[in-house]
This record gives sequence, C-alpha cells and structure tokens, in this order.
Amino acid sequence: MRLKVPLVIFILCFETFLFAAEAGMPQLDPKYWFSQTFWLVLIFLILYLSLSKFFIPKIKDNLDDREKKIKENLDEAKEFSELAEKKRLEYENEISNTKKEVIKIITESKRQIDKNINQKKDNFEKELEKEVNKAEKEIIDLKKNSSSSINLIAEEISAKVIENLTGEKLNNSSIKASVEEVSKNKMEKYL
Amino acid sequence: MAANPMHQFQVYKIGPEIKLGDIDLSFTNASLFMLLSALSICLFLYFGSKQKNIIPGRLQLIAELFYNFIAKMISDTAGSKAKPYFPFIFTLFMFVLLCNMIGMLPYSFTVTSHIIVTLVMALFIFIAVTIIGFIKHGFKYLSIFVPKGVPVVLLPLITIIEIISYLSRPVSLSVRLFANMMAGHTMLKVFGSFVISLGLLGGWLPLSFSVALTGLEILVAFLQAYVFAILTCIYLNDALNLHH
Repeated sequence: MRLKVPLVIFILCFETFLFAAEAGMPQLDPKYWFSQTFWLVLIFLILYLSLSKFFIPKIKDNLDDREKKIKENLDEAKEFSELAEKKRLEYENEISNTKKEVIKIITESKRQIDKNINQKKDNFEKELEKEVNKAEKEIIDLKKNSSSSINLIAEEISAKVIENLTGEKLNNSSIKASVEEVSKNKMEKYL
Repeated sequence: MAANPMHQFQVYKIGPEIKLGDIDLSFTNASLFMLLSALSICLFLYFGSKQKNIIPGRLQLIAELFYNFIAKMISDTAGSKAKPYFPFIFTLFMFVLLCNMIGMLPYSFTVTSHIIVTLVMALFIFIAVTIIGFIKHGFKYLSIFVPKGVPVVLLPLITIIEIISYLSRPVSLSVRLFANMMAGHTMLKVFGSFVISLGLLGGWLPLSFSVALTGLEILVAFLQAYVFAILTCIYLNDALNLHH
C-alpha cells in the first residue's frame, strides 16, 4: 500500500509528460532523446578534444608571446632610458667641468695680463725717473758749468773793461776774487 | 502549422535512419545545429589564433577576450586548483553560447532549448564533480552536507536540505538553461505571429516588442551560457576546495 502511492504519482507524472509532448512540447517526446544524447556526446567530445589539444594551446601561446614581448620591450625601454639618463649626467658633468676650466683660464690670463701690465708700468716709471734724474743732473751740471764759465767771462770782460778805461793791467787774481764775490752774492738772483 | 509557437522545437531526422539495435540514433536537425555550433567555434578559434600579431585583429581580439574571460572566471570562483579543467569549461561555455546564439537566427534550431541536451550536460557535470570530490577528499567529501557552525538541533534538518540541494543541482542547472531558451523563443514566435495576424495597421506594436525581445534574448543567450559555466565552476570549487 505504501509503495503504491509513489508509483501512482510517478505514472501520473509520466502520463502528463507524454500528454504534454502530444499537446505541443516536442522537448518531452522521447523519440529522439537517444539520438540527441548520442550526437551531443560525440560532437562535444570532438569539440573538447580539438579545443584542448589544438586551439586553446595556440591562443595561450599567442597571449604568452605577447606578454613576453611586451615585457621585453618594456625592459629594453627601461634600459634605454637609464642609459639616456647616464649620458645626460655625463654631458652635464662635462659642461660644468668645461665651465670651471673656462673660468680658470680666464682668471689665469687676467692675472697674467695684470702682472704684465704692472711690470711694464713699473719699468716705464723707473725709466722715466731715471730720465728725469738724468735731466735734472744735467741741468744742475749746466748750472754749475754756466756759473763758472760766466765767472770766467765776467773776469775777462772786467779785465778788458778796466784796461780800456784805465790803461793799466790789474792782476788777474784780484779781479777773479772780486768777480767771485759778486757772483756769490748775486748769482742766485739770476739763475 | 507555422502559427504553432512550439513547432520550432520539433526534431526531425535528416538523411537515412541510423539504428543501433532498437535505439534510434538518426542524424536530426538538432544534431545538425550542434555540428554547426561546433564548426563555428572551430572556425572562429582557427581564424582567431591563426595570426600571431602583437596588436590583435578583430577575431584574434575576440578569441583572446573569451579566453581571458573564462580564465578569470575560473580563477575567481574555483581558484588555481581548477586550472586543469579550463579546457572543459571553455568548451562548455563556447558550445552553450554558440548553440544559444545560432538559435537566435531565424528558421534555425536551438539545441539548448531541449531538456534532454541540457540534462545530459548537467548530469555529466554533476557526476564528474562528485567523482572529482570523492577522488580529492575521499569520504571526507561527504562533509559538504554538514555545514560548520550550525546548532546541533538543526543539524539533521540542515543536512537533509543540503543533500536535497546537492542532488537537485543537475535539475536546476539543466532546467534553467532549457526553460530560458524555450520561453524566450516561444515568446519571440508568439509576438512574430501577432505581427502577421494584426497586419499593417496593428502589427507595429508586436513588431517593436519583437525587436526589443530579440535584444533581450541575445542578452539571455549570453547570460545563460555564462551562468551555466560559472555554476559549473562553483560546483567544481566545492569539490576541489572543501571549505565547509
């Protein structure tokens, strides 16, 4: 009795199943169930095998290749940028070194020129001084010479004038003495 | 006959009758469309992987998109242990998707709108997952029916519920796909026949419905394939990573 209830329910269900198929649900018609199962399993199996053995590894290879290549390119780009940075630093270093050198050269040559100019100036001044000294000495000499020669001329002129006026000769030493006296007193007034 | 919205699901044999004993294994229109789907997948993947371009072409891009999509889905739901099952889930997803999509073409046949087809796939998945679970965990796999942190009083009830829910997996999986596809195509057919019967004057409204439904059905076709695949992943995850 207990077994009968599920059995009746099952039969009823199956009947409604068949009835539904007749009423218009071809899905519930078991006529081609085996055929559909058979073809599904066959086609799915072939599809699975061809995909897993052939197509999926190919796509995977493609993707891996791309990833690898992109990574390589990125690495290369990084390397190049590092190299560029290094070159830039080198370049800047060189420029700053050159600038330092230029400044050094400029200061060096400036000092050299200054030194040269100073030396030449000194030399020139020394020469000038020497020249001036020489000229002064000459003038002094000339002064001295001229005073003695003036004395001589004055002595001779005085002797001649006295002779002509008096007709007698005075001795030279007395004339000389008087001229010298006069020249001593008055020389500074004229020269 | 054409007005009957269920007529599109009729299976009929093409070519000679093939019989194995008493069992009829004839090539039918359903088999034809299965074959067409499989061939389209192969062609698509063939042209999608033929050229090895760094910057992919359209087909290559779509093929790789599908590949990455499934790979990400598997790793998200089932983790790295599920990697060996990637080809199966990829094939399953592509097959269901293409069957659904080809079914959207007018005058074509929707393979997945037949309960027997979806049931066979779901049963295969169910049995395979169960076997995998027992192979990986032995009898400890039965602990999937005994959730942790449940009060002892409720345990018998919860265990029964868990067992029922586990056993109903193939049914829910197959009926979900089958019912979605059948309902959608029936509705399309009904609205399509309204367009004809209402004629030029009144046919515009069902026609616009039909257009909108077509868009929806394409979405459903993709979504159901996705759901089918992701549920497979989740079942696989239960079998691989016993987390209860």
